[in-house]
Amino acid sequence: MRRGLISWSRDEVSPSVLERRVACLQEQMRAAGLGVVLIYTSFARPSAAAWLTHFVPYWNEALLVVFPTGAPVLLAAFSKRVHDWIRSVSHLGEVRSAPDLGRAAAAFLKERPPESPRIGVLELDALPWHVAEPIMKSEYGRAVVDATGLFAAIRQPADEAEIRLARHAATIAVQAFKAIPTGAKRASELLSVLEGSARLAGAEEVLPRLAPDLRADATLCRLEGDALLGERYAVELSVAYKATWVRITRCISTQAVPPSWRGAADRFVETVERLNEANLSLEPQVAGRVRKTVAWTLETCRGSPPLSIVATGEAPSPSALPGGSLACLFLQLDLDDGPWLGGEPIILGSRGHPSRLLI
Amino acid sequence: MSAISGNACAERRLRLATAMADEGIDILVVAGNPWRSDYLRFAADITPVEGQAFAFIDRDGPARIIVEHPAEAARFRSEQAELDVRWSLSAIEETEIAIRELGKRRIALAPRAAVPYRLAMGPLVASIAPATALLDRLMLRKSPSEIEAFRRAAVLADEGYAVFLKAARVGRPEYALIADVEAFFRSRGCPENFQILGSGGREVRGMHPPTERRLAPGDLVTTELTPCVEGYYAQICRTLVLGEPSTAQERAFAVYNEALEAGVAAVRPGAKARDVARAQNEVFRDHGLGDYVTSEYTRVRGHGLGLYVDGRPAVLEDVDLDLEPDMTLVVHPNTYHPEVGYFVHGDSVRVTPGGCEVLTRTPRRLFSVPLV
Repeated sequence: MRRGLISWSRDEVSPSVLERRVACLQEQMRAAGLGVVLIYTSFARPSAAAWLTHFVPYWNEALLVVFPTGAPVLLAAFSKRVHDWIRSVSHLGEVRSAPDLGRAAAAFLKERPPESPRIGVLELDALPWHVAEPIMKSEYGRAVVDATGLFAAIRQPADEAEIRLARHAATIAVQAFKAIPTGAKRASELLSVLEGSARLAGAEEVLPRLAPDLRADATLCRLEGDALLGERYAVELSVAYKATWVRITRCISTQAVPPSWRGAADRFVETVERLNEANLSLEPQVAGRVRKTVAWTLETCRGSPPLSIVATGEAPSPSALPGGSLACLFLQLDLDDGPWLGGEPIILGSRGHPSRLLI
Repeated sequence: MSAISGNACAERRLRLATAMADEGIDILVVAGNPWRSDYLRFAADITPVEGQAFAFIDRDGPARIIVEHPAEAARFRSEQAELDVRWSLSAIEETEIAIRELGKRRIALAPRAAVPYRLAMGPLVASIAPATALLDRLMLRKSPSEIEAFRRAAVLADEGYAVFLKAARVGRPEYALIADVEAFFRSRGCPENFQILGSGGREVRGMHPPTERRLAPGDLVTTELTPCVEGYYAQICRTLVLGEPSTAQERAFAVYNEALEAGVAAVRPGAKARDVARAQNEVFRDHGLGDYVTSEYTRVRGHGLGLYVDGRPAVLEDVDLDLEPDMTLVVHPNTYHPEVGYFVHGDSVRVTPGGCEVLTRTPRRLFSVPLV
């Protein structure tokens, strides 16, 4: 609930980049016979609409309406007074006021009936009921189909503009880690520095999770109040810059960096190099000081959540992800002197080519 | 868990269990996400950071939690060891299956704002409205522990505004002001804050997230900031001027201050939300500014506060919800002024048996920041 800088730089993401993404979706829509695709966006699910239009809601909700041709229309439950702001930060055809979003969507479809009667909804299962109900009860309800797979198929690999933004986000996160004072004793001190550094560098969102004392517990927590930092702690920092999210996890020692951690970091890099679009599984890591891999996840953005899981040690079958995708790898290892957590954004390798760290 | 949080949690569970028994509900399935986490916090004392979460609440307390991410699952298990927490890439489907497995028990689904389509399409659709209303009723009036958390959030809001005041300097971009405030809140262990702002002159029609605009001499700088303590949000709205205020800015401030005082004076048990809105709007009408209290220029004249930043009731002239002791809200006559631009001024209050208690203490002034 803490949006920072929201702005659109045409140098960073040109209108033509956004138009290309929309055109790509429209091509798929035509192939699938969809007359329109509806994309819900909110604070919790901003990423699909943002990828197409650069619009990021700071509260409230909206529906992006994409027809097979033309610029997307935003039905926004925001006050009309913020329409100018919405236009200043996004690339849209039309912005309409829609305080009752579901009803407004049904009315809009009646006003501009799609040429094909099939209506795609991104993540239909997850569409909030107060938005879905009026649509499903309208004359278009029977024509609604789920468009999650269709959208996911075009969302990755990342284009150059997105990779640049992700690099910037990762750089913000790394700078924030560097700003942590060596003698930090309390979680509040640490989180304050991370937050301040990242936001002064232009972060749109900063989401820290912290394991304050690795010797006691390696669970990454959302802190309310404060906690004492142990001699070894871990921080996961998720940073958004211009709607592009990365997640970086680091272990921090108040003493000299343990040799075992250097070995773990090497293992992490080796793991990255083994991953590619044909191999999204991690082999168990048992070598040197690594006793076992406790957990791992590979995440990407391919719908409205900023990051969602593609593969993990806890679920047997990874879903497909093309080479060139922007992803975040997290690894938790059990070392002979305690737990180690690491995470970095990566560019997924294609068949026969290793993945590489984003920065 | 702090003493306040522990007490608030126990009080909430008792009130919910009683209400569920009264309504004949065996299991309440509560949905939420990082934005609408209020119902989950109330029912299960969890706050999702990412993805959707579903809590199965029986009358003894939360029985099962289903989330979308393994890290969230691990976190909830760590926060409340007694919880049965599962995660699934298809959390909605998993929840649907779990509901089906409950068989013939009396189940209800809430809240309307967060229940996903797939669950609502099932046999529980008719339960969504009454179960949401049940939770809304419980969340409206605060318990002593909830009031204590709200009180502390109001103190933090005052302290946050002091930081904002210090951060607002000519030449700084809007987002730098937010960075200073957010860093301060983190230093106080505050995990959430909703804050928007505006800067400039007559062209400014509202507030928004921070931009790259740099503050300039003569700007009005508005903000509402809403920090959170133990899950409870309190809000303050103030306006400052960079440099000496103009006569028009001083004149505008006098109107907003009169409206805020009138609104706060109208807060008492038995009054309705519309009375508080009308009291504020009448001041604008009396000053010939009646056009500026319409939806063209403003949204609400305040709103409820608690586990959500924009709760019930909306303070509007057509909302007839009765105010009762221990409701908490912000009264803010925020709107556009034709001479000076968007202007905000508001305080968090608690309805008391005899009237209301103003909990934010920052002086009601048009602050002037010297040009250095």
